[in-house]
Formats: sequence, C-alpha cells, structure tokens
Amino acid sequence: MINILFYFQVHQPFRLKHLRTLDIGTNQDYFDDKKNRDIIKKIAEKCYIPTNTLLLKLIEKYHGKYKVSFSITGTAVEQFKLYAPEILESFKELSRTNCVEFIGETYYHSLAFLFDPDEFLEQIEMHKEMLLSEFGYSPVTFRNTELIYQNRIADYVWETEGFKIIIAEGADRILDWRSSAYAYKDYRKNLTLLLKNYKLSDDIAFRFSNKGWKEYPLTVEKYVKWIEEISDTEKMGRELFINLFMDYETFGEHQWEDTGIFKFMEKLPDVALKTKKIKFKTPQDVLSLVNYQQESLSYDKFVSWADMERDLSAWYENDMQKNALESLSYILRKIKDEGKKDLLPIARKLSTSDHFYYMCSKYFQDGDVHKYFSPYNSPEQAYIYYMNAIADLEERF
Amino acid sequence: MRILMFTWEFPPLISGGLGIACYGIVNALLKRGHQIYLVLPTKEEVFFPLTEIEDVDKLPVQFLNHQKNVEYLRKVFKKEEERFDYIGMTRFPESYFSIEDNKFFLLRSKILFETSYEEILIKQINYGQLSENNLFRKVAEFTGRAQRYAKTIEHDIIHVHDWLTYPAGIIAKKVSRKPLITHIHATEFDRTGGIGDERIHKIEYAGMQLADSVIAVSKYTSEMVIDRYRIDTKKVYIVHNAIMKRKIKHEKDRIFKGPTIIFLGRITIQKGPDYFLKAASIVLKKHPESRFIMAGSGDMERKMLYQSARGRLLHKFLFTGFLNRDEVNKIFSASDIYVLSSVSEPFGIAPLEAMSFGIASIISKQSGVSEIVKNALKVDFWDVNKLAESINFLIENPEERKELGLKGKREVEKIAWDSAALKIEEIYRRLL
Repeated sequence: MINILFYFQVHQPFRLKHLRTLDIGTNQDYFDDKKNRDIIKKIAEKCYIPTNTLLLKLIEKYHGKYKVSFSITGTAVEQFKLYAPEILESFKELSRTNCVEFIGETYYHSLAFLFDPDEFLEQIEMHKEMLLSEFGYSPVTFRNTELIYQNRIADYVWETEGFKIIIAEGADRILDWRSSAYAYKDYRKNLTLLLKNYKLSDDIAFRFSNKGWKEYPLTVEKYVKWIEEISDTEKMGRELFINLFMDYETFGEHQWEDTGIFKFMEKLPDVALKTKKIKFKTPQDVLSLVNYQQESLSYDKFVSWADMERDLSAWYENDMQKNALESLSYILRKIKDEGKKDLLPIARKLSTSDHFYYMCSKYFQDGDVHKYFSPYNSPEQAYIYYMNAIADLEERF
Repeated sequence: MRILMFTWEFPPLISGGLGIACYGIVNALLKRGHQIYLVLPTKEEVFFPLTEIEDVDKLPVQFLNHQKNVEYLRKVFKKEEERFDYIGMTRFPESYFSIEDNKFFLLRSKILFETSYEEILIKQINYGQLSENNLFRKVAEFTGRAQRYAKTIEHDIIHVHDWLTYPAGIIAKKVSRKPLITHIHATEFDRTGGIGDERIHKIEYAGMQLADSVIAVSKYTSEMVIDRYRIDTKKVYIVHNAIMKRKIKHEKDRIFKGPTIIFLGRITIQKGPDYFLKAASIVLKKHPESRFIMAGSGDMERKMLYQSARGRLLHKFLFTGFLNRDEVNKIFSASDIYVLSSVSEPFGIAPLEAMSFGIASIISKQSGVSEIVKNALKVDFWDVNKLAESINFLIENPEERKELGLKGKREVEKIAWDSAALKIEEIYRRLL
C-alpha cells in the first residue's frame, strides 16, 4: 500500500518594527503590532479559515480515511490569540476529529539548536506544554524549524520524553539512490525518520500555478497517477509513504484561490481513495504500519527544506546573520545568568528563524523568495533593526 | 553688495557640510547688510532673493519667468514641503531633461569662449550632458541656465561653491563681466582620498584658474589647491568655517549606559569610516561595555555594515542611517566621544558641532579644523592604534574626558561666522 502523509507547517513570526538607534532606551515595544495584526488577519481570511473549513469537511466526508498533520508554532498561536482567536478555535475543532496529528517543535520556531542545546530543549518543552494546554495533545513526532536536521538533533530529540518519530528533508545528497518513500531510522536507530518527497511536495507548494511548468495545469488525476507509479516499483509488499510537507500558507496565500488549489485539495482524496491503493495517514501511523527493517541514515551535515541549497544558508551564512546570532546567544545567556525573567520571552521572540531569513543576502532565484517573504526593503535593514533590538535589550538590565 | 551666489546645497536640503557652511556664510553676510541672490539646483527656474536676515530660513522664491512668478504668488502652500515640491527642490537633484533636450546647449548659447581654460570647461560640460551619470547631466543643466540668471539678476559679484557650480559661475561672469569668487570646500582629491574623476579635476582646475579670487576653507586646503592645481598664491585666501550658535540647549540624554563613541558624517572613503571601525574593534576588546555608533549614510555604508558583522562586534557597533538636524542633535546629546577619522578633510564642521555639545573629540590631523582648535586630541587618520589608545584613554579617565569636552565647548563657542563674513567681505571689496 501507499500512504500519503500530509504535514502542514503553521508559523507566524513576531515581525520587528523599524527600530532605530535613537529609539534605544525609549522603552519601545520591538514588535510591529499593526503589521503583525494585518498579516494575520489577511492570511486568516485567505488561507487559515477557508483551508481549515475544507479539511474539516473532507475529514467528515471520508470518516477517518482522510487525515492530516500540523505543526503550529507558539508564536503563531500567541498571535492567533491576539489578533484572530477564531483561527485557534477552528484548529481546535479540527483536533477534535481525531484525524489530525500535532507535531512537536521549538515554541519559537528558532535556531536555538545552533548555539544553545539547553535553550533548544527548553523551547521544545514549552511547545509540548502549549500543545497540551491548547489541544490536549502530546506529540510523538518531532520536526525541527524549517526541517533543519542533522544527527545531533536526533540525539537531543531522543533524550526528550515522548518523541518516536522525526521528520526531515529528503535531500538527494543523503538519500543517494534510496527512495524517500520508505521509513528510515536515524543514525543511532532510535527514532523513525520520515523524509519529505520534495518533488511531489513542491509540485503543489511551488509549481502548482506556474504556467511555465511543462506539467501545468496539474490535475488531480495526473498527480494521483504519479503516486501510483511509485507504488508500482515496490514488488515486495512493503508499505510506502509519500510525505507531502509544506507551508500551510500554500493554500490561498502562496497559491491563490483562483489557481484552483482548493478544488485540487478537495478532489484529491476522492480520486486517490478510488484507486484502492492509496491511503491517507499521519506520521504516528507509520509506527504500526511499517512492515520491514528500517535502514538507518546518517546526516552529518545540516539539511533543511529551504532554497536550492537545502541547507542552513538561508539563515546562517553571511556575516550579518552570524553576528546577529552571536549577539542573541550572548543576550540570552546574560538574561538567564542574571535571572531577568521578564526579558526572556522578548529575547526568545528574537530567536525565531524568520529574523535571520530576512537578513539572507543570497541573490539569484532564492533571493527573490526571501524578498517576497520579508517585511523589510533589504537584508541590511532587517539586520539594523534586529541589532538595535538586541542593543536595547541589553540596556534594560 | 549684491551677490549672485550659486551653490548645490542649502538647508533644509542638505546632504553634508557644504549646505551648513553656505547657510552660515549667507546668514552672516545678510547681517552685514548684503543682498544675496541664491541659485540652487531646483527643477523650476527660480532663485531665492535674500535681503533680510530672516530670509535665510524663509527662503523667498522668485521665478525667472514672469508668468510663472505670478502663478506662484497666487498659490497657497499649507506646508513648506509643498512649496519646495512646487519648485522642484530635492535632496538629491535629479536630471529632468532628456539627453536630446539639452544637447550642446552651450554651442547654441552663442557665448564666445576666449581662453583655453574656458574650452576645457565647456568640453567637460558638453560631454557631461551626454553622460549616463546623472550628476554630470544635472551639472550641465544647471550650467545651461546660468546665462539667464546672470542677465536677469542685477549683481556686483559672483560667488560659487565647489565644482558643481564652477561652470555656472564662469558662464555668469562671461555674461555680466563681474568678478568671480570660487569657494573651495573640498577638492576631488579630498572626496576620493586619491586620484578621483578626471573630469571633475578639469572643472576644478579651470574654475579656479578663471576665478578672480579663490577662497579655501583652511590652510590645509589652500596648500592642496596651490600644490595640485598650481593656482596663483596671490589670489588664494583662507577663510575658516565656523558654526552657528545653537538656539536650543540640549541636555545630556544618554542612549547607552556605557561610554558612547560616535562617527558622524557621510560614510564615504573621504571620511575614513574604516579607520573608525578598526579602532572600535580594538577598543571593544578592552572595553566591551563601550558602544560605537556610525551615524550617516553613504556609498561605504554596506561595506562597513558587513565588516562590523565579520569582526563580530555584536550589537556594540550600530548604524543609524541618514539623520536629520534634530536627530543629529539627539545623537550628539547621547555621545561621550566624537571621532573625526577623515582621510582628507578640507575643514570639518561636524567636529565643531560635536565640541559645542561638550563632547570630547578626537580629530584627524589631515583636516582643516585641526588648525584652529586646541582642545581636542589629534591623530593621523591611518594610525588606528593611536586612535584606539586615545579612545581608551578617554574611556578610562572620565575626569579628563569631561574637562576636554568642557574646554572644547568654550573654545568653539568663540568661533563664529561673523568673522568669516568679515573676511569674505574684504575679499569682495578688493575685487570691486
């Protein structure tokens, strides 16, 4: 059998104000309340509400045969509560269907693993607590920020109570000749490792409305046929997993409604289930489904789902990003050492990976994507505002 | 006297020291009863007839075209910005003619050019019109109007500031046969810290050769002019810049708890921002509590940003971007130590301003301002270690720092534009 595993990333950062050096010491709120509110409201209307409504309809229609999984960050939930509580309500409604799995991660969608393992583990705990209090859910699947993965991360996650599965990018340089359709184990064989099928994921997330793409327009029939073709290669009856991981904002925000993305999603279970070969599952189902010895894969270097490089370079490559991360690390340590509890949530909001993504100065194709997602005019501006925030934080001691 | 003055910058529209200096000069000349007809790179063909002292801030406007002037007088402006928009006055004047529009206007203007200097100048300007470089095209356009200004405005003397307006001054002189003074605030050698743009050198050379008198803002600059451009020493005068008395007293208003060290100016090669940055990285090793601010904007800003990040100076080396007048005052109020790291600074008004705030100052020896102030530490711009040591000394000795600041403050309070205006007036008289 072949199983489609949908996993949607739901994340919103607290975007920074245009903080100037002269604003330091004037007791400013660093975060751009208006911009954050506007963005949340806009995405709620275009994506979160209509997509949640659609998923709820599909789950009810197929009586447990259609399932999805989400990772919702702490910073997203906080902003839903602040600006659009109805979004959180609709996620709760989805969770009550029992056809939704929630995936664990760092509360702040941060890069903490890069500079402070303790902070990384604390933020994972915070996220677990949030899932428990909001959705009554204890996660067994973990995914790190933007699918950033490396052996060391598997070690930390294994030490954390409850996690049995970890998900990562199915990068060619790791898989080599292997297929992402099988379940693997991490390098120590502790956790089950599920890898994103980046081709089929990106067909929906990025290429769906691209008129220059030779497969345009993407029909459900064509897409389902591609999935079936993968199952034809498996002759020994092993369970296959097509891991379709993407930003939730794909639906209605990155791919607008008029591209037909909602119709595509609505029709997909109908066509797929009719084949009798394809099922919809979530990561935790893999543990009971898998019917073979899982090979272990070693990831020495960082991989992620970002950009052409699929590594850390979107967040941690140029000197601005590195200097900013060192400054953050410095200030977090100082806050903890001196017990300044009131400053901790502010500093942690600054640990969100998006701030570093905005500072990315790679040009060419990926630079465009960064620009699209950035609330600032240039990476340098993003850096200047960020550094002013950190400098201000230190003046608050 | 009636002075026809061409300049590229004037408050509120300034990008650097030139506008501030022109303001100080015009203000002091008005006080002495002179009338100034100011021409700026505006989109519309206007000038500013300044006759009363208040006019320096009011900036009354007159259009050359009578009909347009009538229309202007009928207009009501809610804000000053609206008025400036109406006449097309922007901080970075842009070219508004197409290349075809003003091709070889000087050939059409039927002015006869007699000397080889004039030929040099006209060549540069005519080529300038075809240039992709917007600044050159703008200068060409500005020059093209000079003839009409000189014909329309009655004047006794022509006073022009820096190369951008030298060609206009030459044209005006050809039309009215009045004496021409070229005021040199900076040469291309200063701005580029080296060879620079040959076309600009040619314009500077020809402009100064054709002038009846040349005013240099310092001994440092006069030597540069005489050495590099072979200008006749008899016609070169030194008039040091000064600063305006501040109307509002600014109390110390700290941003950082730690000692705050500031660079303020355009972030260009001339200002030596890289030397400031290098000194900062040395000081921060010894004094991690100190904070460095690079205030201003310029073509080296990104480079400095990346270098400070590469040096991992954390959040202790910050950038403000361009600051307006008010913001400059605020940042000075928050600073303890000012550094002028210029590679070549003809004068340097910013250090005088910093000192007037009682900020202990360290000044590059390669500057005009170091000739006239005593109460500041002076270092060679390239001696980064000495600069870092001086900063460390001032951080470690707060009493000495305060005293230096206080003495410096008293010293610069005596440096006024009035005495500069007196000297300028004397230069005018000799030519009449």
